[in-house]
Amino acid sequence: MTELTSSERQYAAVILVVMAMVGVAMAALGRSDPFGVHGVIVLVYSVGLLFLVLSSFYAPEPRTDRQASYYDDPIKVGIALSMAWAVFGMFMGVWIAAQLAWPTLAFDAAWSTFGRLRPTHTTGVIFGFGGNALIATSFHVVQRTSRARLAGQISPWFVLLGFNLFCILAVTGYVMGVTQSKEYAEAEWYADLWLVVVWVTYFILYLRTLARRKEPHIYVANWYYMAFIVVVAILHIVNNLAVPVSIGHAKSYTIWAGVQDAMVQWWYGHNAVAFFLTSGFLGMMYYYLPKRAGRPIFSYRLSILSFWGITFFYMWAGSHHLHYTALPHWVQNLGMTFSVMLLVPSWASAGNALLTLNGAWHKVRDDATLRFMMVAAVFYGLSTFEGSFLAIRPVNSLSHYTDWTIGHVHAGALGWVAFITFGSLYTLVPALWKRDAMHSAALVEVHFWLALAGTLIYVFAMWNSGIIQGLMWRTYTEDGTLAYSFVDSLIAMYPYYIARAFGGLLFLLGALVACYNIWMTARATPLIAGSQLDLPDRRPATGTAPSPAE
Amino acid sequence: MPELFHRKIERTAIGFVLAIIAAASVGGLVEIAPLFTIHETVEEAPDMRLYTPLELAGRNIYEREGCYACHSQMIRTLRDDVERYGPYSLAVESKYDHPMLWGSKRTGPDLARIGGKYSDLWHVTHLMNPRDVVPESNMPSYRFLARTPLETADFGMQLAAMREVGVPYTDDMIANAARDALGQATPDSDFSAGVVERYGEKTQVSAFDGVATELTEMDALVAYLQVLGRLTDAAYKQTAASEKAPGSQQ
Amino acid sequence: MAVEEIDAATGHATTGHEWNGIKELDIPVPRGVLMFLIITHLFAVIWWFVMPTWPLGTTYTKGLLNTDQRKIVAQKLVEASAERASWSDAISNSSYDEVLSDPRLMDVVKQTGHRLFGDNCAACHGRDGKGGKNYPDLTDHDWIWGGGPEAIAQTITTGVNSSHAESRVSQMPAFGRDEMLDPAQVRTVAAYVHSLGNPTDSTPKTIETIAAGRQVFLTTCAACHGENAKGNSDLGAPNLTDDYWIYGGDLQSIIATIHGGRQGHMPTWDKRLGPLQIKILALYVYSLGLETP
Ligand code: HEC
Ligand code: HEC
Ligand code: HEC
Ligand code: HEM
Ligand code: HEM
Ligand SMILES: [Ca+2]
Ligand SMILES: [Ca+2]
Ligand SMILES: [Cu+2]
Repeated sequence: MTELTSSERQYAAVILVVMAMVGVAMAALGRSDPFGVHGVIVLVYSVGLLFLVLSSFYAPEPRTDRQASYYDDPIKVGIALSMAWAVFGMFMGVWIAAQLAWPTLAFDAAWSTFGRLRPTHTTGVIFGFGGNALIATSFHVVQRTSRARLAGQISPWFVLLGFNLFCILAVTGYVMGVTQSKEYAEAEWYADLWLVVVWVTYFILYLRTLARRKEPHIYVANWYYMAFIVVVAILHIVNNLAVPVSIGHAKSYTIWAGVQDAMVQWWYGHNAVAFFLTSGFLGMMYYYLPKRAGRPIFSYRLSILSFWGITFFYMWAGSHHLHYTALPHWVQNLGMTFSVMLLVPSWASAGNALLTLNGAWHKVRDDATLRFMMVAAVFYGLSTFEGSFLAIRPVNSLSHYTDWTIGHVHAGALGWVAFITFGSLYTLVPALWKRDAMHSAALVEVHFWLALAGTLIYVFAMWNSGIIQGLMWRTYTEDGTLAYSFVDSLIAMYPYYIARAFGGLLFLLGALVACYNIWMTARATPLIAGSQLDLPDRRPATGTAPSPAE
Repeated sequence: MPELFHRKIERTAIGFVLAIIAAASVGGLVEIAPLFTIHETVEEAPDMRLYTPLELAGRNIYEREGCYACHSQMIRTLRDDVERYGPYSLAVESKYDHPMLWGSKRTGPDLARIGGKYSDLWHVTHLMNPRDVVPESNMPSYRFLARTPLETADFGMQLAAMREVGVPYTDDMIANAARDALGQATPDSDFSAGVVERYGEKTQVSAFDGVATELTEMDALVAYLQVLGRLTDAAYKQTAASEKAPGSQQ
Repeated sequence: MAVEEIDAATGHATTGHEWNGIKELDIPVPRGVLMFLIITHLFAVIWWFVMPTWPLGTTYTKGLLNTDQRKIVAQKLVEASAERASWSDAISNSSYDEVLSDPRLMDVVKQTGHRLFGDNCAACHGRDGKGGKNYPDLTDHDWIWGGGPEAIAQTITTGVNSSHAESRVSQMPAFGRDEMLDPAQVRTVAAYVHSLGNPTDSTPKTIETIAAGRQVFLTTCAACHGENAKGNSDLGAPNLTDDYWIYGGDLQSIIATIHGGRQGHMPTWDKRLGPLQIKILALYVYSLGLETP
């Protein structure tokens, strides 16, 4: 608030009042429909924020030279939100994992059944945890690599808090049974529309900040963040086109039907992986990994090759989710071949990251933060190899519909997405709060091992169960008839479901340790001198080594 | 030198964004657009019928409860899939599905041809608590469905919205939607003849949840489960024509 | 543009740019990556030539192999059934007794039957065939519709109270709900039925009720269940004197049955399973009973 002028505070208040009014209108139109409940949530959320704005409405004006410094407050809040969603999403993950082993853990209520909770997990971790981390780090990276302050005072808040409103609407919707049942796009039409508004603002903000840059060239990390923002917008809009039952109904019918819907859905779904869970996090990696390692990027040309390879090839691969289905065979073949070609740019990125560590391997050994990022690059390479492998039709005939997919997902989601995020946050947090290091290096170390153990247990359990399941479904007796019934395969899954829940629990514990450590870093450690150097107009620091924490 | 050109686009944010959009658009266009122009993508099935209002309501409950998270509705063109679940799924079978529910995970078995496989009573017992009939099951219990009355007031609007997105519901169907929902679940009532008349001889009229006097969400969900795979016979005809093999489901 | 500089650790030049301390090396794309690129692209191009791949307006390239997933699976199914012919013809063409006395064929029946039963019947009758509440035990020698393999096959084919045109029909009327009997009569006849399997019921205190119940039974129930209550398999009316109950043999359950009636629904498998599979299942179910004492 202290960073906003009073006219900006008025502006913010107006936006919030408008949002509150939208909430009231939704509540009135929706009445007993969940749409009305969501109206109330929008209202409460807006009024709560309005209260915050008004409470410091008459606070002193900000420094007049605020444009000469970076805008870091939204980033700090973004990190906090990201960690909160991490705990929520992973707790949901552990809970649903436990439900598959012990089904009575749904406690016989409607809202807590597996089908309703599962999307709260996926949305919570992908959008809540991942999305907030992406927004926060993108704000940080774009400012630092452009040597320019964010091109807006309110819009960063609008993007961040608007995005979180979307996540809240999505997750509360699922437990009430509001869903479009499109994987990773389950939120209903009005939340989708809201996300479009937020995302367009994000896009404009990002582009305007880049336009202000004092560096002649746009750094690789920003290429990835831009691809993430632009392509997710396209995917989101096309996949979510729908007709609501009425303006007071949460329910809508997607305009796509049957086989075309399947293709659009997996064009979206696969590229949500590509541009949300890959591009954005590669942007993160391209900044925080060389920063932390204090090493130059291994090869600029490799960066170019992998960036355009990923941006072009990924968009063709979605049909590998529909092998052997009623989708025409020719589309499946396109998806398969492009998935195989996609491995080259994917491995090029992973290799570029690992080779960047040349000359810094001693740091990897000693510094758990850098080790997080190193392991992330390894898992990135591993899960993309696995992905390309699973995309080959005969392999997919075994793996599809089984836990092998879930193993692959979490090799990517835990090993890559979460590891790179934690590594980046441990680099970013001390820099942002102007501390010289995290509160406790030992706790970073503890987190690292909990996360690694959790990931390995999870992934190995699911590889085992998936392959066993896939094999049992297609095992034939000597007489040429199927050997196992479906329930036979279900019974074989239970030990692995228990192991997975345990691995997930370890991973969740690690995230809790991280929360504590970040909290203590932000609260307790004293400021260090010299941090004022972190300003947009600082001359290029030729000759001086970059500070390890930043 | 390729990177010389790249050096240039690296200097303009707008140019870079346009390049990204160009590179990212091709794949989707080439794979999606032809699905509308290549005629054989969706097979012909003259006998294909529409979901009745009750079945559509059941489908919405199936979505709401996230059954698709554990159950696929897509029998693949693989020997073991066909031998376990029946003829492979055709595109036309989900022609009226907004959205499709093909699924991506089989924690439970495929349901594409579950219609008619079990009795209504079995479905009710199973949904109330799957472990009562399948002790090994990890499926959640859905007891609340049986005690939640089905809201039928907006069924006309539901069908109208489906018509907006291309499903050929008639004015007559839309006007009688709520009544048809009731009729399908109350055999021998005045309303049941109308459903059959509007949706065809093969429409199943039954007291799905076992209680004919009131309409619950259980009625709707079971009605939907019982119609899965039975909107058209096309898949059976297709396999019969293409292979003429005995014991195909062996 | 900043001056080029050499990175000490690798000896390579940087690109000359710097972003908040991050630099890049000007290392060319490694040869291995290019090789890898060529290999994967070669694979893709070959695949495009042999398989259906590229859309062309209203059609698509069919590929040199001119194949398609549907053709492939149809072919596989034909081959599979040919492969099974060695035993499937034998089972199809033999009588039930012949199969029962052929250990080799019975091996197939047990293996195949177990899977078929698991995927189709176990949901109601349990994985071991022992039934459960509302669904009969198939191993107990107490048959409603007759326990020979032919009768079992018939039950499987047409089902009971199913949508099959020749379905077996079984109607236990709802005597209480439809007010054919008053609540007191329901209770007395229930007491009588209960006592059939539990002679200890006939204490001096209840003997009168049971006698009254017997009267009701003879006038109302005997038509289906027989005067001795031993059932009638033509009508699907079960034997009430033994220890096997579909809907529960405690007094409460019996009252519920008489009050609300029962129309057990066993689906027809005529369309879903082929004649061979039904024969295997009938033999399998029959053999379940043979294994249970
Ligand atoms: C946690 C995963 C899970 C969820 C969620 C789930 N199921 Fe299931 N379902 C299973 C499993 C496992 C089986 C196999 C064991 C059994 O029959 O219970 C099954 C079996 C079934 C069957 C019997 C299939 C057959 O061929 O035997 C039906 C029908 C069914 N489920 C319907 C539903 C419906 C409708 C919903 C949502 C309201 C649902 N399921 C939600 C896991 C799930
Ligand atoms: C939806 C539940 C259900 C399924 C699935 C089912 N049955 Fe049944 N079955 C029943 C019921 C209910 C009865 C009792 C019918 C009656 O009341 O007479 C029955 C009766 C039978 C009987 C007659 C028992 C007797 O005492 O005469 C046989 C034999 C049988 N089933 C075999 C099978 C086989 C084999 C399968 C699988 C192909 C199967 N059932 C699948 C519900 C089912
Ligand atoms: C119209 C013929 C008919 C008449 C009359 C009839 N029953 Fe039944 N009864 C049946 C049939 C058929 C069944 C099996 C229903 C099923 O399996 O779903 C049955 C089942 C039962 C059962 C359940 C057996 C079990 O294993 O759980 C009981 C108890 C019973 N009858 C008692 C009676 C009594 C007492 C009366 C007279 C008041 C009576 N029945 C009259 C046809 C009849
Ligand atoms: C070269 C890169 C990759 C390729 C070719 C690829 C390919 C695949 C394939 C073939 C499937 C299985 C589809 C199915 O049978 O249902 C899949 C599923 C999935 N992958 Fe990847 N993958 C890649 C990288 C990643 C990465 C890095 C992540 C990061 C998290 C990821 C996340 C997922 C998810 C979430 C699913 C599940 C989709 C669903 O809901 O069914 N993938 N991927
Ligand atoms: C605490 C750790 C976690 C646990 C215990 C966990 C558990 C689960 C479970 C049980 C499922 C459902 C699997 C099924 O349907 O069979 C699931 C799905 C999924 N999870 Fe997690 N998860 C965890 C962390 C994460 C994280 C951090 C991410 C992403 C960043 C993630 C992304 C996903 C995705 C994308 C799916 C859907 C997969 C699909 O549909 O194929 N999970 N998870
Ligand atoms: Ca959506
Ligand atoms: Ca999935
Ligand atoms: Cu994919």
